Amino acid sequence: MIEVRNIFKFYGSTKAVNDISFSIGKGELFGLLGPNGSGKTTMIRMLTGQIKPTSGSVRVHGVDVLEDPIRVRELAGIVPEQETPPSFLTAEEYLYFVAKIRKMESYEKTCEKWFEFLDFGDQKNSLCKDLSRGTRQKLMFAQAFLHEPELAIIDEPLINLDPVIQRKVKDFLAGYVKNGGTVFISTHILEIAKQICTSIGIIYKGKLVYTGRLDDPTLQRRNFEDFFLDLVSRPGNSGTGLSIPAQYA
Amino acid sequence: MFDIFKSMLKEEWRMHSNLFGNNGFSLFPVFIFLFTFFVSLVLPIFREIFTYAQIALGMHYFFLLLGSMVGAFGLMGREFMNRRFGQASMIAYSSRTLPVSERLIFANFLVKDVVYYFALYVLPFVAGFALAAALIPAGNFHFPFTLLFLLLTLSLSFMIGLSLVFFLSTIYAHSGKLLTLGLLAGCVFLLSISGNLDSGIFYSLPSLSFFLLSSKSQFLLSSGLIIIPSALSLFFLKVDFPQAKKSFPNSFSRLCGKFGSYRYAAFVAKDFLDLKRSEGGFGKLIFSFLLPAALIWMLLSALGKVLPALNILILISLVLGVLSSSMYNWLTEYDIFTSYAFFPLKVSDMIRNKLNSYLFLNLVPFILLILLTLKKDPAFLLPTLLLFLSISLYMVSILIYLTGLSPSINLYNGRTFAVYTLSVMPLLLVNVILSMFGPYYVLVNLLLVPLALYLLGQSFRKWDRIESPRF
Ligand SMILES: Nc1ncnc2c1ncn2[C@@H]1O[C@H](COP(=O)(O)OP(=O)(O)OP(=O)(O)O)[C@@H](O)[C@H]1O
Ligand SMILES: [Mg+2]
Repeated sequence: MIEVRNIFKFYGSTKAVNDISFSIGKGELFGLLGPNGSGKTTMIRMLTGQIKPTSGSVRVHGVDVLEDPIRVRELAGIVPEQETPPSFLTAEEYLYFVAKIRKMESYEKTCEKWFEFLDFGDQKNSLCKDLSRGTRQKLMFAQAFLHEPELAIIDEPLINLDPVIQRKVKDFLAGYVKNGGTVFISTHILEIAKQICTSIGIIYKGKLVYTGRLDDPTLQRRNFEDFFLDLVSRPGNSGTGLSIPAQYA
Repeated sequence: MFDIFKSMLKEEWRMHSNLFGNNGFSLFPVFIFLFTFFVSLVLPIFREIFTYAQIALGMHYFFLLLGSMVGAFGLMGREFMNRRFGQASMIAYSSRTLPVSERLIFANFLVKDVVYYFALYVLPFVAGFALAAALIPAGNFHFPFTLLFLLLTLSLSFMIGLSLVFFLSTIYAHSGKLLTLGLLAGCVFLLSISGNLDSGIFYSLPSLSFFLLSSKSQFLLSSGLIIIPSALSLFFLKVDFPQAKKSFPNSFSRLCGKFGSYRYAAFVAKDFLDLKRSEGGFGKLIFSFLLPAALIWMLLSALGKVLPALNILILISLVLGVLSSSMYNWLTEYDIFTSYAFFPLKVSDMIRNKLNSYLFLNLVPFILLILLTLKKDPAFLLPTLLLFLSISLYMVSILIYLTGLSPSINLYNGRTFAVYTLSVMPLLLVNVILSMFGPYYVLVNLLLVPLALYLLGQSFRKWDRIESPRF
């Protein structure tokens, strides 16, 4: 479903993504893990053709993203890192607007279903700018699945959601994958990855330092958090903040 | 107190210079200086046509308008600032988190606007004019005394505009409807009396008459016009604009339905709702379009009496064409491309969407122009409308080519602004001259239509190439 070959992205001298390759099959729920600033969002933006890689190739659903970014964004449902729906539409109007952008014919029922499922029907007549962050995130989540895509790409899916909704979203994603959908998420919350992903990649300073299935025996033998912290705090790698500043210690 | 002021100035500077790099931004006043200088060099020619007082009048009203536009942007444009820089980043709106009163912060905000834009517009303008006046026979504009005096009175004009807008926005914060109705009534009144006005009335702008007569009472009057509305506004300040309605039934589907299978229906409907529901509502249309248009129409009517050679219907079509292109700025202020980057849309698609909304908005000046022409001289209907349409299309395509989806940000780049002005000013000048020979000569402007279409095609290509414009 997703094929990434030797991809690089430089911003001036910053190597946001530095020679990464991986592939994700249909029906997988892939989690890209990594600390802040490690290149997760940059990766997602390249997968969806929002930015061009400095070099390397990306194929999604058989489509070369560099050649036809629009097609990829037609096929996939995408939840971006920052929830920025237009301020002056109401939540409901926004979903209708997205449906129009995606050239859907009938969508009212689907939208209604999402309001019910994520439990924010009482907000559907509020302007997007007045919604709480969590509600905006729900809206962006609903937006991505409106056209029933086979592939969903989600930057930090659960970050602003309360535990009840988190649970619903996790269950939804699990069911979605079971029914043949493919999901790519990025997150730095290890617990989430552990609960829902079928395979993971760990990115650190633009490099992919680990990829594998979550049921891989090496992973099973170890505490997942320790494993992650080991990878992203090797000698010479500073800045993971593992030592507590003296005044608080 | 002074710290807040300093940080606000810094914030404003950083906001602009971050956007285009220091160079681009500091070029802005330099450009204004050079532009005024070169335009002023032809002053002797102007002196053949206009009197000293008329030139002074033009300048003072120009700065009055400038002041009110800066004010309108500062206060009404908050929505847009919030979206781009986040609620907390603008000091003016962070009174909730800083241990100082809203009043103090807004007083600072006002003073900051004066100082900042004084340095950006007023000073380079007068400096350019002064340099030219020193080199050429400038009549009554004596160097340096009269010019220093001009610096003072133009600043007064600028501040009167700013302070009046501040006052209006405070009224608006208390009752939006009242202000909107009041302004609308004002516009209609101005337009209807415009034909039978004694042009002397324009000289009663205190800053102008202070310049011409330098009497103490006019100075006091000017200062009063600045201080009293500002003080009243600060006294009755209300930071939260009324947002009576928090809940809206779905109007989007209904609007889309009206357009049938029109390709851009969803986007035009969305832009319409943005305009309607954002601060000021359709009041913005009156405030930033009808009111200036009415003022200019009055000035032109008065000018037409003094200089019968000028065809004021042709002139107002030109002015409306130029003014309408500012509507493209409003339309782009509610969106950032980031909100669309994850949909199957290109930057050029968004530009096309905005362009369609722009065409709809142009109905307002179009109808206004029809009404004015019918009132004044129906025989000119065809040339005025065609002129207006071609100028408006040309202006917006230049704007799009140069600034893409963010005109109000990118135009502050000195270089961009220079190119923009140079592709517009000569054209306007040529048209003013053409109009004196007869109304049909301006139909030459129809040649701008293919040029505009070509430019638009180039713009689509240009802005699609640029990777993920951040705004
Ligand atoms: N447009 C840009 N211009 C310059 N540098 C950028 C740009 N976008 C990202 N970067 C840099 O690239 C690196 C990776 O950023 P990215 O946003 O991909 O990280 P992330 O893993 O998503 O972090 P987070 O967990 O905080 O969301 C960072 O060092 C960031 O500063
Ligand atoms: Mg990120």
